[in-house]
Amino acid sequence: MTGRLPNESMIAMDETTISRGFRSKRQEQTPKNRLPPGQYVTTDFPVLSAGPTPQIKLGDWTFALQLGGSLLGKWNWAEFEALPQTTIKRDIHCVTKWSKFDTTWQGVTFDDLLKAVGLTEPAAPYIMAHCDGGYTTNVPVADLIGGKGMITTRYEGLPIPPAHGGPARLLVPHLYFWKSAKWIRRVRFMEKDQPGFWESFGYHNYGDPWKEQRYDGD
Amino acid sequence: MTENVSDLVLEGNAAVTLLQELFACDITVARTQCEACGSIEGVGSLRPYAAPMGAVLRCSHCDGILMRAAHTPHGRWLEMKGARYLRFQSSM
Amino acid sequence: MTATETAAQPVRRLEWQLAQVREIVVETYRVKSLLLHVANWRGHLSGQHLDIRLTAEDGYQAQRSYSIASPPEDELLTLTVERVDNGEVSPYLVDDLHVGDQFDLRGPIGGYFVWTAAMGGPLCLIAGGSGVVPLMAMLRHRERRDGHAPALLLCSSRSPEDVIYRAELDAMARRDPNLRVVNTLTRKQPDGWMGRRGRIDKALLAQECFPPEQSPKIFVCGSTPFVEDVSRFLVELGYDPLTIKTERFGPSGGQGP
Repeated sequence: MTGRLPNESMIAMDETTISRGFRSKRQEQTPKNRLPPGQYVTTDFPVLSAGPTPQIKLGDWTFALQLGGSLLGKWNWAEFEALPQTTIKRDIHCVTKWSKFDTTWQGVTFDDLLKAVGLTEPAAPYIMAHCDGGYTTNVPVADLIGGKGMITTRYEGLPIPPAHGGPARLLVPHLYFWKSAKWIRRVRFMEKDQPGFWESFGYHNYGDPWKEQRYDGD
Repeated sequence: MTENVSDLVLEGNAAVTLLQELFACDITVARTQCEACGSIEGVGSLRPYAAPMGAVLRCSHCDGILMRAAHTPHGRWLEMKGARYLRFQSSM
Repeated sequence: MTATETAAQPVRRLEWQLAQVREIVVETYRVKSLLLHVANWRGHLSGQHLDIRLTAEDGYQAQRSYSIASPPEDELLTLTVERVDNGEVSPYLVDDLHVGDQFDLRGPIGGYFVWTAAMGGPLCLIAGGSGVVPLMAMLRHRERRDGHAPALLLCSSRSPEDVIYRAELDAMARRDPNLRVVNTLTRKQPDGWMGRRGRIDKALLAQECFPPEQSPKIFVCGSTPFVEDVSRFLVELGYDPLTIKTERFGPSGGQGP
């Protein structure tokens, strides 16, 4: 080891070279009470995708709500746009450590989706989001109702660009942003929780940024 | 909305590094066969994605996932269920 | 099977080594080349990259990958770094680093995106912005070797001030009738600019690249969207996808834990 450094958890196990004058820029950022631990604020909007951007035609787009083998509801684009629209402003937090404040989204809340299919309560405690390109993520329904989650179609007032998940993505801003699944097409209710794409491969099953639940094992 | 370019990183190479750390031979020149469509190509020609979270390597013909690698504080992950095999050529 | 099949070489576990800055060269208003001494460097091939790691005094670390700009023939390793606003590492490397400073590096990594003179040509190199770096390593290697295979560098930059290695490439092309360098400027062109304008599109590729019948070895490097567009155009023009090798620059967002 190369001597005493204040934060021992950040020291690599092998010999490291200290680079004169290098320091983290990220720690110079703003409001600590708004920023979850380990995050830094960005004004960019990084694109991170596990696959190529699907080019989805609105004429072909549908969104479905499922329980087991049954279809609880299915909407084409016009029908989906006709559902009650809500606009929210939230901070978002990516597990790769960037956070973006005050992002504005418009779409259909999970509560309004349930109403639209005549459910006064959720059909099961968990959901799996299924997306074009095969991406999946699991979310407890308790984290979607009460205005906590929506299927969003507009970012900052404009249609969401394909690279950012358009035409529609799931939005669950209080969890790490990998849960806000891009290119969502189906929400499937599940009796038992099952891990999605990243949850089954090194990442935390739930993903609360305030508890820094980034990885499986945290 | 702009793509973040807040430091240039070789995205594909970040993916390669994640994989390479697990193999004794140069992984980029190994050949592999896609389980989904049967096409054979070099690992170096697979399409890399998601490097900041992990490496997702997809078939350049059908976009199916051949392998995934991730490095977290709790360990390294490698999944290859989308690849039928890896073939490393010997130098003889 | 491709003509560039290579045997898989055993690699030693990637280990960090000490790099010391011996010289700094200003390439453009925001791009610098760092010439590094690495005591036990095992050698590399043009097109490979390495990882660098910076450690602050409080133990904070950041890690990035950079293509090697120097050919295997050079004694010092060259990295060419573009300063990106809001970046964590590139502003340090471009603005703060002095000759004599040190950091850790490891590599070389990646035997796939390489060109050696033994592979022959014609060689078709297509660069978006700082994607020119690994391709420059290939051209510098080509120049050191005999029998210069016919080569084309097609390079897209935003403005004349952004063209990296401009003087060196002009000089290389003047010395070598088998090398063509074509620049296209996408945002700003100087008065009297007679060269290409706008992004690299299918028409430009059709006009400039060696035709598919000549089976050129093609290397494309730049941002992910650039690489995907150019690759798609090339395949549509009839080039065999197996002859097209790509390297993508992408968003950072952190390198893991």
